[in-house]
Parts: sequence; C-alpha cells; structure tokens
Amino acid sequence: MAIIKATKTPARPEPLSETSVLGWLRKNLFSSAFNTVLTVFTIYVIYLTVSGVYVWGYADATFVAETRRECYGNSLTGACWAGVIDWLDNIFYGRYPRDELWRINFGGLLLAFWMAPLWIARAKGKVLVGASVVVFYPFLAGYLFSGGDKGLFMQVMVSGAIVAFVINMANAIVGILKQESIAQFIIKRLGQANKADKKQRNLLIGLVAVGFGAAYLWQSSWTVEFVTWTKWGGLFLTLVISGIGIASALPGGIILALGRRSKLPVLRVLSTGFIEIFRSVPLITVLFMATTMFPLFMREGFVLNNLVLVIIAVVLFNACYMAETVRAGLQAIPKGQAEGAHTIGLGYWGTMGLIIMPQALKHMIPNIVGSFIGLLKDTTLVSIIGLFDILGMLRSISKDVPWLGLHKEPLIFGAILFFIICFAMSKYSRHLEVKLSAGSNH
Amino acid sequence: MKITSILTSLTAAAVMTTTGVTFASAESTLDIVKKRGNLRCQVGQPSPGYYNLDSEGNWYGLDVSVCQAVAAAIFGDKTKLEIQSVSSQARFTALANGESDLLSRTATWTMTRDTQLGIDFLATNFYDGQGFTVRKDSGITSAMELKGAKVCVTTGTTTELNLTDFSRQNDLGIQAVTFEDYNVRDDTYLNGGCDAVTGDKSSMAGNISSFPVPGDHMILPETLSKEPLASAVRHGDSQWSDIVRWSIFALINAEELGITQANVDDMKANSKDPNVLRMLGAEGNLSDGLGLESDWAYNIIKAVGNYGEIYEAYMGHGPQGIGIDRAGSLNALWTDGGLMYSPPMR
Repeated sequence: MAIIKATKTPARPEPLSETSVLGWLRKNLFSSAFNTVLTVFTIYVIYLTVSGVYVWGYADATFVAETRRECYGNSLTGACWAGVIDWLDNIFYGRYPRDELWRINFGGLLLAFWMAPLWIARAKGKVLVGASVVVFYPFLAGYLFSGGDKGLFMQVMVSGAIVAFVINMANAIVGILKQESIAQFIIKRLGQANKADKKQRNLLIGLVAVGFGAAYLWQSSWTVEFVTWTKWGGLFLTLVISGIGIASALPGGIILALGRRSKLPVLRVLSTGFIEIFRSVPLITVLFMATTMFPLFMREGFVLNNLVLVIIAVVLFNACYMAETVRAGLQAIPKGQAEGAHTIGLGYWGTMGLIIMPQALKHMIPNIVGSFIGLLKDTTLVSIIGLFDILGMLRSISKDVPWLGLHKEPLIFGAILFFIICFAMSKYSRHLEVKLSAGSNH
Repeated sequence: MKITSILTSLTAAAVMTTTGVTFASAESTLDIVKKRGNLRCQVGQPSPGYYNLDSEGNWYGLDVSVCQAVAAAIFGDKTKLEIQSVSSQARFTALANGESDLLSRTATWTMTRDTQLGIDFLATNFYDGQGFTVRKDSGITSAMELKGAKVCVTTGTTTELNLTDFSRQNDLGIQAVTFEDYNVRDDTYLNGGCDAVTGDKSSMAGNISSFPVPGDHMILPETLSKEPLASAVRHGDSQWSDIVRWSIFALINAEELGITQANVDDMKANSKDPNVLRMLGAEGNLSDGLGLESDWAYNIIKAVGNYGEIYEAYMGHGPQGIGIDRAGSLNALWTDGGLMYSPPMR
C-alpha cells in the first residue's frame, strides 16, 4: 500500500472564518470582550467626528453667499465656504492681474508637457529632456510670468526654450510611435543614415540653428504685459519658491556634500562652515536677515527684489540640509565600491558619477522627498515677511470686510490642498523607490 | 516671538548706526520717487478698516487711501503706487533702510519711536484707544466691575502691558488669557473661555460686527490708552515730510470746507470761497514750497475724496466699512467736538 500518492491531495477550502466578512470582523474586531468594547467605543468616536464634520462642513454649510453675514443668516453653526470660493483666485494666483491668469496656467501646462516624456517609457533621451527643463524652462516661465520688454539675453533664452520644447515634443511623439529618437528619425527620413557621424551631426546642428532662427523671429513679434513680482502670490508663489528650491537644493546639496568629503582642506572647511552656519539658524532668521538686514549694506535707494532674496535664502538653507542627506547616503556606500571603480581606471568624477552617486541617491530617495515636502511647507514662512503666499492669502480672508473673522474654513481648505500636494509627492517617491530597486532584491 | 524681538532691536540698532552714513548725501526723497515713477507706501499685514485685500486682490482701507492721496499729490494718479505689506517686526527698519518711502499703517505715535528710531511721525489719521468688549447679558457696564475676570488679549503688543497696568492701578486682579491670533482670541471669547476681550476699540468694533449675533456684545466706555495712529517718514528730509503731512491735512481741510470727490470740479470752477480756491490751486501759490504741481490738492480730493468720505467708506457704514460711528468720537472734525483739525492752508 502506497503511503505516498502520485498526485497531490487538493487543498481543502479555507474555513469560513478566514474568508467571510463576518469571520474577518470576528477575528480582528470582536475577538474578546475587551476588544468588543474597544471596537464599539472607537466606532462611536469615529461616528461622532465624521457626523460632526459632515454637518458642519456640508449639511449646514453655506456655499453661495455675498458676505459672512449671509452665511450666518443661513446657519449660525455651519461652515461658510462661500468666503473661500470668493477668494479662490487670490488663493491660487495671488494678486496677479485677473486678465493675465492664463499665463500662469499656460506656464504650468507647459511644464507638465515638458516633463511628460520623463514618464513615458518609449520616449528616448530622458537625460536631455531633464537637462532642457532645468536649463531652458525657468527662463521661458520667468518671462511668461513677469513679462515686460525682453532683453537680448532673455530673447535668446526664450527662443532656445521654444526650440527645445518643440524638439522635445516631436521626440516624444516619434518615441511613442516608432520607439526611436527624433534625431535618428530625421536622419533616416533624409536618407543620411549611412553617412559619416560628423556629417549627420552637422546636419542636425544646421536644422536646430534654422529652428532657432525661426523661433527668434517669431518670439520678437510679441511681448506680454509686465507684472511686478509684488503681485505674485497664493499657491502660485508657493510653488515658484519651493519649485526653485527643490530644483536647486539637490545639485547644491550634492556639491556641498562632495566638498565636505573632499580631501582638499580649503574646500572641506568652507563647505563644512557653510553647512553648519546655515543649519544652525532658523529659516525665519535667514529670511529676516535677507529681507531687512541685507538692504542696509547696499547702496542707498537700492531696493532688491525681496522675492529674489527670499528664493536665494530658501535655496541656500535647503542645500545645506540636502548636503547632509547626501553625505549620509554617500557614507552608506562601502569603500570597496570606490576602490573597485579605481581599479577599472575611473577617475574621481567617473567614480562619483557612475558608481557611487547612482547607488547612494537610490538609498536617499525617502530622505530627499522628506526634505522636499518639508521645504514646500517651510515656504509658508514667507507670509511672515510680507509676501502673500498661500498661507498669507488664506489668513487675509478673515480681514476682508465682507468675510471678517472667517479664519477656520480657509485654513482647513489650505490643509486639504497641502495634503493633496504632499501626499502626491510621497506616493510618487514610493513609486520611484520600487521602480529603481526593481532589479535588486531589497 | 523672542527671536523676532531680538531681531527687531538688532536691526534697529544697525539702522541707527548705518542710516547716518547712508543718507548723508541723499538725493531728496521726492526726486527718488519721481524718478522711479511710483510711491512705495508701507502698510502692514491685512487689518480690517486700515488695509485689507479684497477678493480681486486690490488693497483698500483708510491707510491705503492716505497712500493713494500722497501718490495723487505727486503724480496726479493714485495708481502710481506700490503697496508694501511689511510685518510689524520689520516696519520701522523697512522705512529707515529706504525700502519704503512712507509708512501709513496702524503705528502708534510715541516719543521713543519718534525720537530714537530715525523716523518722524507726521499727522494722525486715526485716534484709537484700548477698551474692553463684554457680553451684554453679563451685566457688566464698567471696566471697574471686571474684578477677577478672565480677559482675552493678543500677546506681544502694548495691549497686554496696558491691561496689566490697568489691573494693577485699580486692584482688579484681572487674569489675562493670551493669544497670538486675534481670530482665536475671539473664538475663545465667543465660546465662553473668557469674560471680556481687550484690544483697540476700532478693531474690536470691527470684530464684533463679525460675531454671529453682534447685538449681544458691547464695548465698555473706559479707554485704557491713547493710540494716535499716524503716518511716518524717514528722519531728515523736511520737504518730503511737508508733502506727506500736508497731503493728510488736505484731506481734513477739504472736509471742513465741504469739498468732496463729487463736487471738487464744481468747487474749483465756481466757488467764491478764497480758501477753497487757494487750496485747489485755482489761485495763489500754495504748492511752491512743496515742489508739486499747483493742482496737487485737487488731485488728492479727486482721487480719494475728503477725510470724512474715506472714514465713512472704510471705518464707517459704507459697503467696505467696519461700522464704527464717527459722531462724538475723537475722529470727528474739531467743529463737531473731535480732534481732526488741520492748520489753515494759506
């Protein structure tokens, strides 16, 4: 008699207590008398909170009204969202002229399209796309937002940005359809694929030059109205400050971290001193110094753009924090990696750029994103020095005569907005971690 | 708060030492403003009645109107103006370091500020004073009855000091409950967290009007402090001081003479009163010493109206006003028993 069967005995179905909802409830919520009491109590607390918020925030709330008094007329205890709705333009765009709001929206859309190829697997040349965003987009957006007469430099940069954007879009489309870069596509179409590399390159440069000329001529035919920075505000200003902060904090941090680990004493001392000084003072002090003390040392009547001062302060401050994050990441890479790189003949930059940094940055993603989220929230401090960022605007609603004293609703609205933005960032960082560590087993 | 207060004193000290050097060879402020093409006028973070943002992003309020009046006097155009919103910690520094041309915000004119900060106060545009708000059903009718009461107050201002002084002088044993934000202060009071609120009477009047049932609350008659809110400029440019001072006087004088935004053209063309004609530049040479056009005062009234109109619009019962009665207060014209008085313009 065979004890061992040739076929596997089919698994018995799971017991009902493991699969049904009731079973799950029993196992997790009502497993003992104490847990049952706890569950009932918790459900009651949740019910109280949710129903309270629902009644205040929706059932009793007023969405359409001219003044807060009207809200009171509707309900003395409900929320008055009408004030927030009335102020939406201020909250999102600040005091930006209402006829020109399309410029901000357009700038945002442009950025989204520009960056989109980075997420499309089939698009080629992602590094170039990323570089073009950093090099060209700020100038195009900067001109779009502030407007006025274009200087020669601005004209060149704007034309460059237009060319880069068009090439980028064409590249993405070609990538999606044919899975090749725009350069390869054009060369093939023109039947030059078998020509020498140098000839191909000259041809491409020629095409770009022609495109640049056309863009230059086109952009010189229009200008947009000048909008002074004091009219910038709301979420737009918050995103501008933190966007520039985020884009420059990482490169700045990498440079400072490498400086601090450098073998050159001057470089090391300078980097360390810089990091320690900026890390040891609160951001609000740096902001105050930048906006009120700095002008004292300048020539009289010379008023610097407060926004620029604030951005510089935010960038320096965050670069220092980032430097320590990066240094921690670098420290975590075993020495053997650098030695291995040296043995195959890589120099300092080769070792850093190809071996150490890619590994270190992967480890640092959670910390880096943590800093970015912190930075985004820290920028609300600029409302204290008189810039009307999103927090400044939210707080001003309670001072506007029709909405006098309305302060809870705007802050709750702001909290929801911030949650959405920060949660999205955090989710994206998780996605990035998973994607980057797909090849490794941790 | 501590860091900011240290910063304030630090910057003030720095200003004191550097301004002497910085502004010794100064171009006149009027020239700088004219060259720049706009007036930089400093207000604070929005405060009902004085300077607020509306939902379109425009500034309005009593102090904003003073800014507009000065801009109109210089350029004949009230929009040639950049309103700077500066936190109260940095307000005098921002004026002294040349960032602002003019400070027109709720700054109390005190001797220390006038004499030690390198700035000059010019003319009061609002007389305020600290008082108490209580619930009507509490039965309290005088501040002297607040024995042992819990009083809500915002921290870090002279308001808190005045309250302590008042309590000590009258042996009331008032218990101060302090807040950073006045909205939270008011919410606490409304929810029964304290028996009374103390603050500047004007701003409390505004706050009461935003309470669910304004009629349930009242301001007690006592006034704890003198708060003359005045405009200020940097020390040492008398011509610029004259321009700002007389722009404010022009607002008050116009009310006294019965010139309004609506009738200013008519008055200039048809008035028989030499005072009116002199002021509006139809005759005489009033503007010579100021370095402005002869129709400077006309431009002011045309742009913003007279003091009474401005008061009604933002402090009184206009659509954007916070509803403080003017009759019988210190802010009435001197002819009505108030303190608003302009030296003669002749």
